[in-house]
Amino acid sequence: MFRTPFPTTVKLGLLRLKNTTPQLQDVVIVGGGPAGLSVLAALKNSSKTAHLSCKLVEGGDLNKIRNFDETAYSNRIISLTNKSMRFMQKIGSWKHLNLDRMQFYDKVAAYDSSSHEALIEFTNDAINYDPMGAMCEVVNIQKSLIARIDELDQSDCLVDNVKVEAIEESTSEIDWPIVKLSNGDAYQTRLLIGADGYNSPVRRYAGIESRGWAYDSFGTVGVLKLASDQYNLVSLQRFLSSGPLAILPLPEDDATFVWSAKTEVASILKSITNDKIFVALINAALRLEETDLKYALNKLQVNPDDTSVIEDLQWRIELFEPNEQLDIPVVIGVQPGSRASFPLKMSHADSYVGPRVALIGDAAHTIHPLAGQGLNMGQADVASLVAAIETGIDRGLDIGSTLVLEPYFAQCFPYNHALLGVCDKLHKIFSNDVYPIILVRSFGMRFMNSLTPIKDFMIKTLSV
Amino acid sequence: MAAFDSISKNKIASGSSAEELKHFNALASSWWDVNGPQRILHKLNLIRMDFIQETIRDHLKLNEGITNSDDEVYIPPYNIDLLPEGVRDTIVREQCARREEILALKKMKVLDIGCGGGILSESMARLSFVESVKGIDLSDEVIVAANLHKAKDPMLKHKLQYKLQSIEEIPKKEKFDVVTLFELLEHVDYPSKVLTEAMSKLKPNGWLFLSTINRDFVSWFTTILMGEHILGIVPVGTHTLSKYINHVEIKNWIASNSEYELVASRGSIYIPSYGWKFTNNENVGNYFMAIRKK
Repeated sequence: MFRTPFPTTVKLGLLRLKNTTPQLQDVVIVGGGPAGLSVLAALKNSSKTAHLSCKLVEGGDLNKIRNFDETAYSNRIISLTNKSMRFMQKIGSWKHLNLDRMQFYDKVAAYDSSSHEALIEFTNDAINYDPMGAMCEVVNIQKSLIARIDELDQSDCLVDNVKVEAIEESTSEIDWPIVKLSNGDAYQTRLLIGADGYNSPVRRYAGIESRGWAYDSFGTVGVLKLASDQYNLVSLQRFLSSGPLAILPLPEDDATFVWSAKTEVASILKSITNDKIFVALINAALRLEETDLKYALNKLQVNPDDTSVIEDLQWRIELFEPNEQLDIPVVIGVQPGSRASFPLKMSHADSYVGPRVALIGDAAHTIHPLAGQGLNMGQADVASLVAAIETGIDRGLDIGSTLVLEPYFAQCFPYNHALLGVCDKLHKIFSNDVYPIILVRSFGMRFMNSLTPIKDFMIKTLSV
Repeated sequence: MAAFDSISKNKIASGSSAEELKHFNALASSWWDVNGPQRILHKLNLIRMDFIQETIRDHLKLNEGITNSDDEVYIPPYNIDLLPEGVRDTIVREQCARREEILALKKMKVLDIGCGGGILSESMARLSFVESVKGIDLSDEVIVAANLHKAKDPMLKHKLQYKLQSIEEIPKKEKFDVVTLFELLEHVDYPSKVLTEAMSKLKPNGWLFLSTINRDFVSWFTTILMGEHILGIVPVGTHTLSKYINHVEIKNWIASNSEYELVASRGSIYIPSYGWKFTNNENVGNYFMAIRKK
């Protein structure tokens, strides 16, 4: 009873101390998405960098990700390239992926809504048995990385359910940035890695400008049920004048779709509450001519619950003469509650590095999803950044120095810039119904489809 | 702050002044600004470290002290590139892992002669297999600047000490695993004396790393004409061509001394907007040398 005052005082003293002296760290990563978790797993996996003291700060609950397997498919599904898969093997996270929820595919087919002969197909190299890619939920990747971090006995590096309140410059002798957290803790870090997405607070702290534009388009995504399981080796994409619609395979008869569409069309898609209407519309969008599709969309714009559209589209689809070269899947259902949409944009940071700062993933660049490169670019960033840090350690440098970080920027920026540009141009060429452009692009697609060297080059770029 | 003491007695503590401290801070920050006037030196430091790492790693005895032949790392007696990729990668990975194991047990003592603002000293002190670094210089100004910068990185506190000292002033008994003499010999009047003194600080099997400049047209063109007069990277008068020493002169001098051997040499060249690069010709322009005490 007499002793109670003492602990209270001590406790208060400690609390105050906690707020004033930041903990020194070698690396603080902001953001627990795939890029942030990859950089932590890769640093802890490398014998050269494993000794660095690291913290990863994430606002969400990582335990939810650890237990995601029990749930239905998430609608955030991406395509992994072989290069990304090899990197995951290298850092040891690959074996923790739930392969039952992933689908490898060995063919990509793209066709144009304005001309049925305009078809381009990419098939994998049959000799190497490398797939073209694999569809995988983002949460599956996150889980595998957390499992790898746990396996390396580094769970203490993960600080979740905590938000970054402020990032400040240091006023003391040690000129490392200070990251203040919502739980009262603060870290002062030699190197601050921003894996904190498009609106990156780390990028803003570093004063690095990001340039780009919004596409006046939204991506609508969701999980589909197909009539049969024979489509799951193909990733299919149709270029509609309002933007591309992709059907991407999941195990057995499941699939996911990404429908990039102008805001006007996207808002109609969003307003449809009846999944049956949506299914009819997707089947139509994969087959019918633009005029038929527009007719249905106009009706739905007036009344999003107009079920007469289903019958009408069904009748038109029956009249549709399929292209024999192309097998288009029949969609029979959509996973309830799986539909969602997000605005599309392109942005690129002027630099990925500054004194004691490195940006990776969406904090450095956001890309149109039509080529499925977003997450893979982030993985390439991580591989390059970690290699730069390893070299810096060998050279005895301060890993926050721009001397260490510049090679990462020099290596990744030109490649990412080219890829961003190509996807931007593809979007502009295909989201278009000006007749001369249609003529040129359908000629271009047929021409490219017959030219093996160009296709091989594109396959290498996009999948290897 | 032991290293501070020798200077602080006569410089900083004794009545001095915020102004003086400001001067040293400015010197430290200009020396350490990687985009500032010393950028070329910061870039050079990258390949100095590459040369040191490469030489030390290449000369570790991977199977020393291993009696059980099953535990030995396979070292093929022929060019490893002749092997299939998978086999080669496995061998290289095993060798690298063993190198890390051996290095992890080392606790090297390093002497950096002519440490300046501490660019190399700090790098050496951050290496995991280095236990301590002593940086010496004859300019009290740079020692103060080096100490000011050292305080910015907590990991250097116990590993790195600077002293205002000449080589001769180092106690006879103090020996080192690594001694460095970078960009120094071309500035002294009696290079052979400095080199002899530096080599005498080595423990058996210890390494001396040095870099300097050949006395030739290329060196005059790059270091004096371009470096001093045209591009103005370093002040006019920094270099004197007659003080440059040819690689072959040091090589022959080492060969005449049975206690030491020349283990490795590399030429180097500065390419504007890229940085420094190794060349295969150590007889032209700048060069590195690794000398080992037997």
